[in-house]
Amino acid sequence: MARSIPPTDVLITLMGSPHESERVTSALRLVQALLEQGRAVQVWACGYATLLTQNPLGEDKPRNLANWNGVYPSTAALVKDMLETFPGRLYWYGCRFCSDDRGAADHLPQVVMRPPSGYGANVAAAGRTLQVGVL
Amino acid sequence: MAGARTAGETGTPGRRTLAIVEKAYRGALEKQFFDALYLAVELHRQLGGLDVLLRGRAVTYGVRAEPVPALRIGSRTLDTLTDPRRDLRTLMDAGVRVHAEESALAAHGLAPDRLLDGVRAVPDGSTALRWPEYRMVCYL
Repeated sequence: MARSIPPTDVLITLMGSPHESERVTSALRLVQALLEQGRAVQVWACGYATLLTQNPLGEDKPRNLANWNGVYPSTAALVKDMLETFPGRLYWYGCRFCSDDRGAADHLPQVVMRPPSGYGANVAAAGRTLQVGVL
Repeated sequence: MAGARTAGETGTPGRRTLAIVEKAYRGALEKQFFDALYLAVELHRQLGGLDVLLRGRAVTYGVRAEPVPALRIGSRTLDTLTDPRRDLRTLMDAGVRVHAEESALAAHGLAPDRLLDGVRAVPDGSTALRWPEYRMVCYL
C-alpha cells in the first residue's frame, strides 16, 4: 500500500548541493520562518542534498584547530533539531535513488526515504511546491 | 608563525604562493568555520607564505561590514557562521597579503575606501604580471 503523505502548506524540493552556495542556508532559513509562522512544511531532499542528514556526520563538525573548544553543529544535527522543535509540522524526505547513488545509506531515523516514483504524492499533499536548486 | 616571510615547514625560502579567491559564499551552514579562507591559513603555514587575490564576488569579503548575524535553526541560535572579514584579518595577522581587484570592487559599487585595513585594491591584470615571481598560483 502506498505511503500516506501528511498534508503540508509547503513542499520544498531541495536539489541544490551543499558546500556550493548559500542555497541550502537560504532554504533552511525559509523552512524555519514558515514553521515559526505556524505553517506545516515538508522537505524533499534530492541529489547531493541527501547528504545533509547522514548519521555518520554526528552531532558536530570536526574540531576547529583554531578554536579547539568551539562547537559547530553538523547539518544532520540541525535538521534533527528542527524536526524535534516542530513535531507534526515538519517532515523530511530523502530521495532513495539519489541517496543510494551517492553512497549515503545511513540517515537520521526521522528521515523518510522515498522512491522517485513517489514524488508526485508529496507534491499532491502540499499546498505549494518550491523547487530550490537543480540536480 | 605570525609574520613568516621566508620558509614554512616545507616551503622554498623566499617564493610565495598566490591564491585566487573568486567564488564566494559557499555554504554558511555547511561550512561554518571550514571554508577556503580557513584552508588558506594552513597553506600559508605549510608553503612558506601566501598572497590572496580577491576577485569577482569575493571582493566583498574584503570590505568593512556589520558582523555576521546569528541564525535561528530549530531551537538553536547559531552564532558560528563563517565571517570572512574576521578570517581575512586572521590571515593578514599571520603575514598573508590580501589584494582585491579594482574592476570587481567597482562592479559591486564598492569604493576602495571601503576596504578593510590592510587589504589593497589592485588594477586588473597587475597580479598576473607577477605570476613568474610565485612558486605556485592556485584557485581557492
